[in-house]
Amino acid sequence: MSELRPGVDAMRPARAGATRTADSRPPDGFPGASRYRGYLGFGFGGFFLVTVSLLVLRAVWALGNGEAAWDRVQQSFQNPIYVLFHALAFLWLTWFTLRLFRLFPKTQPKRIGPLERPPDALLVAGLSGVFVVVTLVVAAILWGAF
Amino acid sequence: MVDVVRHDVVIVGGGGAGLRAAIAAVEADPTLSVALVSKVYPMRSHTVSAEGGAAAVPPDAKDDSLEKHAYDTVKGSDFLGDQDVIQYFVQEAPNELTRLEHWGCPWSRNADGTVATRPFGGMQTPRTWFATDKVGFHMLHTLFQHSLRFDRIVRYDEQFVTKLLVDGGRCRGVVALDVRSGQVRAVLGRAVLLATGGAGKVWPFTTNGNIKTGDGMSLAYREGVALKDMEFVQYHPTGLPGTGILITEASRGEGGYLVNSEGERFLVSRDYGVGTKAELGPRDMISRAIIQEIEAGRGISLPGKLGQYVHLDLRHLGKAKLEARLPFVLELSRTYAGVDPVTQPIPIRPVLHYMMGGVDANIDGATPLPGLYAIGEAACFSLNGANRLGSNSLTELLVFGARAALHAMRFAKGSAAGSETALLEQAKAEGARLDGLRGRKRGGETVAGVRHALNLAMEAGTGVYREQASMQQAVSEVAAIKQRYEQVSLADDSKVFNTELTAMLELGNLIDVAEAVALAAVSRKESRGAHACRDFPKRNDGEYLHHSLVHFGEAGPRFSTKPVTLGTWLPEERKY
Amino acid sequence: MAELPKKTIVVTRFDPDKDEAPRQQRYEIPVEPDWKVLDALNYIKDNVDPTLSHRWSCRMAVCGSCGMNVDGDAKLTCKDALSDYGDVVEVAPLANFPVIRDLVVEIEAFMEKFQKVKPFILRAKELAVEAGPTHQSPAELDDYRQFSMCINCMLCYAACPVVSNEPDFLGPAAIALGHRYNLDTRDEGQRERHAVFRDDGGIFSCSFANECSRVCPKHVDPAGAIQQAKLQNVIDWVTRLLPGGGGER
Repeated sequence: MSELRPGVDAMRPARAGATRTADSRPPDGFPGASRYRGYLGFGFGGFFLVTVSLLVLRAVWALGNGEAAWDRVQQSFQNPIYVLFHALAFLWLTWFTLRLFRLFPKTQPKRIGPLERPPDALLVAGLSGVFVVVTLVVAAILWGAF
Repeated sequence: MVDVVRHDVVIVGGGGAGLRAAIAAVEADPTLSVALVSKVYPMRSHTVSAEGGAAAVPPDAKDDSLEKHAYDTVKGSDFLGDQDVIQYFVQEAPNELTRLEHWGCPWSRNADGTVATRPFGGMQTPRTWFATDKVGFHMLHTLFQHSLRFDRIVRYDEQFVTKLLVDGGRCRGVVALDVRSGQVRAVLGRAVLLATGGAGKVWPFTTNGNIKTGDGMSLAYREGVALKDMEFVQYHPTGLPGTGILITEASRGEGGYLVNSEGERFLVSRDYGVGTKAELGPRDMISRAIIQEIEAGRGISLPGKLGQYVHLDLRHLGKAKLEARLPFVLELSRTYAGVDPVTQPIPIRPVLHYMMGGVDANIDGATPLPGLYAIGEAACFSLNGANRLGSNSLTELLVFGARAALHAMRFAKGSAAGSETALLEQAKAEGARLDGLRGRKRGGETVAGVRHALNLAMEAGTGVYREQASMQQAVSEVAAIKQRYEQVSLADDSKVFNTELTAMLELGNLIDVAEAVALAAVSRKESRGAHACRDFPKRNDGEYLHHSLVHFGEAGPRFSTKPVTLGTWLPEERKY
Repeated sequence: MAELPKKTIVVTRFDPDKDEAPRQQRYEIPVEPDWKVLDALNYIKDNVDPTLSHRWSCRMAVCGSCGMNVDGDAKLTCKDALSDYGDVVEVAPLANFPVIRDLVVEIEAFMEKFQKVKPFILRAKELAVEAGPTHQSPAELDDYRQFSMCINCMLCYAACPVVSNEPDFLGPAAIALGHRYNLDTRDEGQRERHAVFRDDGGIFSCSFANECSRVCPKHVDPAGAIQQAKLQNVIDWVTRLLPGGGGER
């Protein structure tokens, strides 16, 4: 890893040039401009991923620590803040997944052997469709429908 | 303080010819140290803008032969091309394009995977290899990327060569201005190759980019090497209004029509000497036909644009073919002419494009100055004679870039390095001159002002059609402009990336080229190839079957001549 | 003749021998309706202020010299219509690059990154010219053609937030070019390039902002190239671990 500083040392060459240069400037509008919203939203999801992971670890720990611990954790699920947090996490995850599938065709080569890549719209619709159906089915199961 | 670096071979110019030469030299002898000195990063070289294709008889061709390619080139040159050069060229052409294919050039293909070819002007059968319609771009990038494999090619990017170093009658290096820092550097070598391209910026309406200022031509000229056949400048038939941006000949190769204001395909309905070839006749004849149509009142005016135009109609080719074979033409027309070729004809007129003439060199690229070589558009061997066929020049870069590099390499290895004292003295003096030039205050002239005057003078005197009177006028006007150049004052005194200084140096080079073009033009009292003189409308082999030479002189340029190397074909009437 | 309308071009100026840091200079000039931003800069240099330094050459969007930031966004100034902008237009050097002078930036870091991906045909055995050209079907050519269209204008580097924050990042154009060679049927160097790709600052530093593809004037879609490269790279890595795969690298 180099000693280069983010922002001001962007694209600084390994060997210094013959004259003094002015520092690099980051792209205008980063990070507030509207074109970065999707990108930042994607990255911000790290917050949900970390916190949900910690909460899951907490529940797993309780499982291994006897009935009383487990019951306390179950009780905490009723907390309205807990419910709100998970609702937001779910909304974010849905947005994240649908956006991920929308971007998915970019990872695919033009053809695999003799098979041409299907039209992007088809790929996106297919993946998103499967996601929605599976989510609904799992939600129904957890709700106690079957 | 002058910096000094030493190499075996020094190449000036990093375009198609320069890169091919560098690769050829290090591949032939991996112990050689090759300097590639360019005033721009190599991928900016003007080779990048070439569009249509590169000609060579395909290895598996059934209806084609080397002899046919040679004959087409000789006839296209109006019998002024040297036939020994042409024979070697057509023979090596397929090998060079094959080599480029091996190096990754994305030649367009037939369905069976073989390299595709398209018809081109003046060629009796399709033999132009192409990469959609961006062949120069693909060739240059392939060459540049391939050159990165060789550590022994040392690049000096954005270094402007201002003088050749000559001592004891031999060329032994160059002086280069580091554009970024203002540092002056002596790049010493035992052979020097000029690959600096043409000088389209002498004229106001040109396909050429800003960097095409004849730098190498001027470097050689100032050291006593003649500039050959300078009167022969090629007007490409199809340039866009205002900008002069090139619309490739391939658009006609794929079947496009040229149409006047009355909607007629004038190359078919009237006799302009191109016979059944029509739009695929040679460029000089097509350009003249367009000018004649305009002068006869059948040109098309455009609001807000000077001059008149004719139409290049591609609509009948259909959207699918245009998108597959001419996508760059679509992009250029839409972006720079506001016209969609799928539904509208493109307004075009002849535009200055290429210089058949250049530094006097032989088939090995050797100039009369030992140790100095010249290749590509900067040189005149002569492959192209009085008129170049489209798609021959890209192949020319490769064939003679390679051949000249091997000769330069042999010369370098066979010559001793010698004393550096005189060379370093010259470099020091040149450094002082450049330091004094920066921000100098003289008379009231500016670089842009003098350049504009030069442009107007050369357009008036050396257009598609010329008259003795206007050519003579150009000769005297260029001489006057040369005086005005001495009165240019510069505003930018900075050492760092001073582009006013480089523009000043380039202007000096343009003036050298212009004086040679004007003198050669007025001295050729006949019409041949691209030199169409209204006072002498016929070709005169009895008195003018020769190359023109212009030598630099303190009292003004001096004119002389040199014989043409004939061969299999003797001059005949040039009809298609 | 009707008088031409005027625009104010606000240009970033910087001379390291005279200025501590870049500053702005305003030029009010007459403008023609069909001008590109580059035409305005050339007018300023030729008629108003010859000390303005900028790079340009072909003026037809193929040499890649004239990339700059116009009103905050990375543009190829010879292709960018001046009429798209208001009465005041800001022209600055490319973002994410050190500035040498005025609108001229230092591109040596790009040349370094460019070379790292081995952008040439790699073969175990060189082909002989006598063998003639190799065969490549139109479909095989089409697989990589789009990624071969890069003019090295570096607008993608100017727009990429990762280039900004991770100076070691190879960057969009370099990766797209490496990917172009990986896809070329004539090349045998995929393994070597994938090793470079998964190194520090390689393709996995890309977090898919897609800014590069948005600003690319030649529609190369470097973001697509990088994501495709990621998938290919993982497959390459997995196949190495399999017996006979060659082992980790």
